[in-house]
Amino acid sequence: MSRIWSMMDVGRRSMMNSQTALQTTAHNIANKSTEGYSRQRVEMVTNEPIGHGKLRIGMGARAGLVTRTNNEYLEKQLEREGAQLGYLTGRSDMLRRVEEVYNEQVNKGLNHSLGNFFNAFRELSNNPESLATRTQVKETAENLAKDFHRVTHQIEEIQKDADFRIAVKIEEINQLTKEIASLNEKVQMVEVTGVPANDERDRRDELIKQLGQKINIRYAESKDGSLTITAGNTAVLVSGYSHTELTVGSTPGRDGKAEGSFDIFYRATENSTPVNVTSQLTGGEIGGLLQVRDEVCNGLIGKMDELAYTLSEEVNRAHVQGYDRKGRAGELFFTHLGDKAGASKVINLNERISEDVSLIAAAGEPGAPGDNRIANVLSGLQYKAVMDDKSATFDDFYNSIVGTIGIEAQRSMTSAESQKDIVSQLKNIRESISGVSLDEEATKMIEFQKAFDASARLVRTADEMMDTVLNLRRY
Amino acid sequence: MRVADKMQFEQVKSNVGKNRAQMAELQNQAATQKRVTKPSDDPLAASRVLSNRIDLQSNRQFSKSLNYAKSFLEITDQSLSDLSEILMRAKELAINQANDASANEESRRVVATEVEQLHNAAVSIGNRKLGDRFIFAGYKTTNPPFDEHGRYSGDAGEMNIHIEKETFIPMNVPGSRVFLGIGMNREGLVQKTENQARTIEEFQEQMANAKSQPAPSNETQAPALRGPASMSARTPEVSSEPEAEKELQGVNLFRILKGLEISLRTNDKAGIQDSLDLLDDALSQVVLTRAQIGARGMRLDNLTHTLEKAKVENQVSISQLEDADIFETVSDINKTESTLQATLQTSGKLIQPSLLDFLR
Repeated sequence: MSRIWSMMDVGRRSMMNSQTALQTTAHNIANKSTEGYSRQRVEMVTNEPIGHGKLRIGMGARAGLVTRTNNEYLEKQLEREGAQLGYLTGRSDMLRRVEEVYNEQVNKGLNHSLGNFFNAFRELSNNPESLATRTQVKETAENLAKDFHRVTHQIEEIQKDADFRIAVKIEEINQLTKEIASLNEKVQMVEVTGVPANDERDRRDELIKQLGQKINIRYAESKDGSLTITAGNTAVLVSGYSHTELTVGSTPGRDGKAEGSFDIFYRATENSTPVNVTSQLTGGEIGGLLQVRDEVCNGLIGKMDELAYTLSEEVNRAHVQGYDRKGRAGELFFTHLGDKAGASKVINLNERISEDVSLIAAAGEPGAPGDNRIANVLSGLQYKAVMDDKSATFDDFYNSIVGTIGIEAQRSMTSAESQKDIVSQLKNIRESISGVSLDEEATKMIEFQKAFDASARLVRTADEMMDTVLNLRRY
Repeated sequence: MRVADKMQFEQVKSNVGKNRAQMAELQNQAATQKRVTKPSDDPLAASRVLSNRIDLQSNRQFSKSLNYAKSFLEITDQSLSDLSEILMRAKELAINQANDASANEESRRVVATEVEQLHNAAVSIGNRKLGDRFIFAGYKTTNPPFDEHGRYSGDAGEMNIHIEKETFIPMNVPGSRVFLGIGMNREGLVQKTENQARTIEEFQEQMANAKSQPAPSNETQAPALRGPASMSARTPEVSSEPEAEKELQGVNLFRILKGLEISLRTNDKAGIQDSLDLLDDALSQVVLTRAQIGARGMRLDNLTHTLEKAKVENQVSISQLEDADIFETVSDINKTESTLQATLQTSGKLIQPSLLDFLR
């Protein structure tokens, strides 16, 4: 009789095991598209057999652990490559926009204005008496100044946009670290009972990957299963159950950073003073944004300043040697620029000239309205090597800026492209290990269903056997 | 290798995405006919396109300036041709009146009036304008350079025009040279083509040099109203000139004409004969100047060709650098299209069947 009971019991437990397995299959299928999910398996364990004399009778199976199929090393590699991808995409997104400022393939830009400016002096030299040619000089000079302002302004807008994006990313990072801290707690609480916290770990791995894409982090797992995450070198974002938020703030300018651009601060404890950690953040999207915002954009503004400053100085130097239409000594053509820094933002035609074009000094001598010697000197200025230690003309200098930014944008785009391939290759490998296959799950489903059916049959058989036993008396 | 469903979907997604992106890029090329639409498409080409564009832009302006200079030179040449006709006529008259066989006091008085008219005509040629500008006034283009006696109030300025990157060409002849002969003797035929300062330093140096040289005295310009014309018609030398270069002497046309007129009026046969030589000098002075102008015109014509060619070359190289090769683009489009179709077809086959479809 005890055998029948145990048969029934084995059948019942087997039915339950099948249900557990089917449930896990259902979980797998449901999470087929969940980012970072690792397929789970119920580990079936054979029960301890019972000995009856010489017989050792198997007592069926039980569901041991539900484990996930996961390669930890691969996850780590994915995080690393993802961080690189984040850096490169952050950079190339920004550079694409910077490049647009200098894109003269479609629009007419500074190159064109500069040409117009010098051409106007040529026209002036053809006919220095005429008010019309003088007005043309004035207009082109004003346009040139405006174009300088436009380029610098657009770059500054891009810097501001980078700041905005950095602020958003920092907010996202804070959300991520908060969730990771709470997952730390869950993982620890689950695993203290000896059961792997599959779903929590999957989620946490995924969040780490997301975090790494935004900022350069280092992380380590302690024995109790909780993760400690450090951004840069010193900013501990997650430790145990607690997380520390990063903040952004506008700060004064310093070498390599523009006035008003955001810095990122870390506050170790509630009461300690915030520490500026911007210089440590060199990776992830934020690293890329910072690199373009500070190094590339400020470098470009510096170059524009240099161009504007030298142009203004050279033109002024010649212009003051000349005499205007009414024989008065030439004034400054562009307003005086005290400092090279910021020159491209403030370069402007002398207001008095823009009000009275007869003040433009084309002549080399007073009282000679047809004298065009100064206009010619200015016209020739376009071909004088005055930039870069007198090795490049204005055009050369500007064109090389465009070339450089083009090369940089191109390089960052291609490396972002190839990094994307690397990451997707790694993701493929990860999916091939951890991903859910519907065919596989369908097979499993049938397998467990059959097992369930068979176990049910077993219970029925045991039941019938029990019936037979109970009805023995009647016969 | 184990193939998970997500892998398949990701793969399909990224492959279709790649093909579509390539297709979009090619379509854009076909639509704009441009291979380079932003610097990063081809940084080197983009930067070379820019420098070609700026060259093209300057060359267009150079063409414009060049045409302007040409018209200035043409009207100068026309004026000088008129002037030489006046001198020819004066010479003709002088020859006729130089001997007593064909002329007498009476006829000389009559002819004197005609010579006076010629003098006045020469003055009005000296005051010719192009638009609002007096062409023989040097830099002082807004006031008539000659008064009725042929006194010059212009200067010796030469207006240089920028017509090629490193080339300036003077487009005017100051009246002081062609009418008064100042500077003619020194520079003569082989006058250096331009003296435009390229930098402000050069300009300052030129100005300093000009100051240290004595300006031609203005006294000598006053026409002699009395006495033999030959006495003062020749423009005095700048003292430091070596003897050998004195061959060609500048002469004052107005003074010659005035001298002739006076000689005619005073029935001064010797004076008339003297002025014959002077008129020859004057004619060659005008002719030499015209030759100079002609030479400049030739140079401008040559430069016109060079500039036109340069403009075409600029455009060609811009086009070569940034324009899409349409045949290549179209054939690339076809290739990509068939790739895309293959991708979509195989994607359908890859995604669709699952074991579940067969478990009916």
